[in-house]
Amino acid sequence: MNKTILGYVPEESPIYRTHPFVRVFFLLVVSLFPMCIAAPEWNFILVILVILLMRYSRIDLATLRFYVPVSMSMGSIILISYILVSGHHPEFIQLASLGPIRIYFERIRDAIVVYLRVLPMIFITVFFLSTSRERDIIVAMRSIRVPFVITYLTAMALRAAGMVMEDFSIVRQAEQARGYDPVGKPIAYKLKQWVMYMVPLFALSLRRADEFSNALVARGYNFTGVLKAPKRADYVLTHYRFHASDAAIIILLSGALVALMVLRYRYGYFTLEGSLTSALLHRWLLR
Amino acid sequence: MAERHPYIEVRDLVYRYPDGTLALRGISLDIYDGDFIALIGQNGSGKTTLAKCLNGLFKPTSGDVIVEGLNTKNTSITNIAKRAGYVFQNPDHQLFNNNVWDEIAYGPRNLQLPGGEVQARVEETAQVVGLDEKYFTEHPFFLPKGLRQRVAIASILALQPKAIIVDEPTTGQDIKQSLDIMDFLLDLHREQGHIIIIITHDMPIVAQYAKRVIALGLGEILVDGPTRDVFAQPDVLAKTFVAPPQITRLAQRTQHLGFDPHTLTVSEMMEQFQRLIPGQWLGQ
Amino acid sequence: MAIVEFRDYTWKYSRTKEPALKNINLKVEEGTFVGIIGPNGAGKTTLAYSINGLIPNQYYGVRQGAVYVLDKEVKQYRSDELTKLVGMVFSDPEAQFTAMTVEDELVFGMENLGMGVPEIRERLDWVVPLTKIGPLVEKPPYEVSGGQKARVALAAVLAMTPRIMVLDEPTSMLDPISRITLFEVLGELKHKQSNTIIVVEHSLEHLIPLADRMVLLYNGEIVLDDETEPFFEQMETILEHDAYPPEALRFFYEIGQKGYYQGPLPFTVEEAAQKLEALWQGGE
Repeated sequence: MNKTILGYVPEESPIYRTHPFVRVFFLLVVSLFPMCIAAPEWNFILVILVILLMRYSRIDLATLRFYVPVSMSMGSIILISYILVSGHHPEFIQLASLGPIRIYFERIRDAIVVYLRVLPMIFITVFFLSTSRERDIIVAMRSIRVPFVITYLTAMALRAAGMVMEDFSIVRQAEQARGYDPVGKPIAYKLKQWVMYMVPLFALSLRRADEFSNALVARGYNFTGVLKAPKRADYVLTHYRFHASDAAIIILLSGALVALMVLRYRYGYFTLEGSLTSALLHRWLLR
Repeated sequence: MAERHPYIEVRDLVYRYPDGTLALRGISLDIYDGDFIALIGQNGSGKTTLAKCLNGLFKPTSGDVIVEGLNTKNTSITNIAKRAGYVFQNPDHQLFNNNVWDEIAYGPRNLQLPGGEVQARVEETAQVVGLDEKYFTEHPFFLPKGLRQRVAIASILALQPKAIIVDEPTTGQDIKQSLDIMDFLLDLHREQGHIIIIITHDMPIVAQYAKRVIALGLGEILVDGPTRDVFAQPDVLAKTFVAPPQITRLAQRTQHLGFDPHTLTVSEMMEQFQRLIPGQWLGQ
Repeated sequence: MAIVEFRDYTWKYSRTKEPALKNINLKVEEGTFVGIIGPNGAGKTTLAYSINGLIPNQYYGVRQGAVYVLDKEVKQYRSDELTKLVGMVFSDPEAQFTAMTVEDELVFGMENLGMGVPEIRERLDWVVPLTKIGPLVEKPPYEVSGGQKARVALAAVLAMTPRIMVLDEPTSMLDPISRITLFEVLGELKHKQSNTIIVVEHSLEHLIPLADRMVLLYNGEIVLDDETEPFFEQMETILEHDAYPPEALRFFYEIGQKGYYQGPLPFTVEEAAQKLEALWQGGE
């Protein structure tokens, strides 16, 4: 099994036949698709396609269960915020009112549109993080000649995030080992305890930073500025090759993006007004 | 020997981490009043996991850990922590206050003790640990490692647990500092009656201080017994990536000359040497 | 030829009152294996850091006297030149990991020095079997065992083929058997390559069979500096300065004091055992 940023992928997964750059490209370009699509049902189809892609890549779909409550709370938050920030719009169709808050049909509809735009982006990101190791991100960036400093910083940031999370859980245990019991205590108490996390986390990070900078010196790493950096051998790239299939995927994805944009803005496809969702909403809410 | 009731009972303890790793595969043991135990084993053998199960931080996946009659599965961590304290290997993980006084007071305050009692505990504990009053206003981060460790131990002692588990007390310390901290733990054991459990790699220290050794390997107990007996089994120990102290190995290597494979210290070796050396070697 | 030389070298960290090192005069001959011992706070790490330029380049303080590496003063080197000559392995393997996989870790330093792909490949083929980390190459460095981590760190520095290797307490965080494997690798390095190796250590058992020379530091000053055998003849001085020789050696010193033994002190368990056997047969 290969350990990726968000989980594990079996080593024989077809996703590994693609060059890491292609995966980064996928992340960036396909995340733009929902931007061109306003019709929620099409974005929903995009989510299904991504899930199928996950299946194809042999990602353990059981891990997706974690994202269900996340998605649901997010959906609720979006809906509620759109309703609360209703304002006064006599041109909208008012469905009901809760005190000073007017619940408009258009707001509900817009909330659904936004939600179905964000959802595919989340799934695409999860897909990317579940199939990539930190190393793949470095490889992707170096293969298009992003300056090493930026590449390295990104990789270290990812790793640091992991270490901070680990420290956090140990500090949490340390607090509990000293009798810290948040059950039944007021919010102010809990907040104060949260602030206390900062002290050891900072202490640990500072010490680590100190040791890490010594290690960098000992390995001969010299920061000479983003532009003047000497040429690096990029040995890690020797493990990866660009295949024709990689180029094909990139062309396909770029083409799809262009096609989407043309269809949407030139020919008016995927709009909200013509969408199935809109028709359904009209029928259910505006009887 | 009279029937003793164990202070901590562990029955078929199994612990599996959230990511699926099986760390403990069915541990059973009893810890008694008066024990001074060294928990040894390779990194990854489950020592720290076991320690955290003993003090209630980790709840067993299956099996039971019972501390002074309380089952950790349905007792709050606070109640267990009052009875079994755990000092983390890296003091930085457990120092969260801005000054030493507050750090030691943190535990008693969490126990909701009255102000006077809190103060008494802080002063008493600082004295036991050998922390001078002048450090009370210092920020723990800036203290040298040895002192930080003492503050960490003090902060657990302030809860007055009967059993204290110290994770790697001597790692990174030089020999004199290691002996200091171990003498201090021995004192806690003898004078104050605490049960001491240390997790360590330092075999000479184990030989000198621990009465009982529990060796873990791959989540199971490989051997559990008096220190002498455990170190006399180097093949079992090798399975857990541990070698007995050098003097023990020398005694084992020279068994055919009469040396006892249970030897633990240089002075014991010396005493045997003087007894065993063939007669013609008296003098030069 | 003295490849490293300290001349009246004094260093005081800006945040302390006392200098960490006072008037150090020390010569290290090329190709030798030197052990530096002493209690914590004696200045061992400061000494090590002064050789590869971390002091004064990364630390604030006051410097007097000079440190020569290959006849050029440390301050006069460009940072990368000195790194090519002096490799440093720190005590915490995890804190010195700079990359995401073991292979990337090994390659990082080489890329920094501007080596090309064919040379990198060649060095990898040499350093991986030497440090026995073949099966680990694709793994993230923090997922391997403690002993393996230490060997990865060592390999990463060796790959840069420095003429001088400085190791600052490389085994302090390791279990006993990992310590043995690390020193085994250092032993192979000593016998097969011509690097100068300087090791700062507390755990002397594995160090002294390999060391050509030993240096005892105490309170910032050099108390003893001699070849290994004559060094340990000055046992009184060593003990007075809080350094603890390995038990087998200590034992033989004691029996020597009592008049039973005259002769070189043993550096390993095997040597000690053989000498005991010889004594029994009436030799020496």
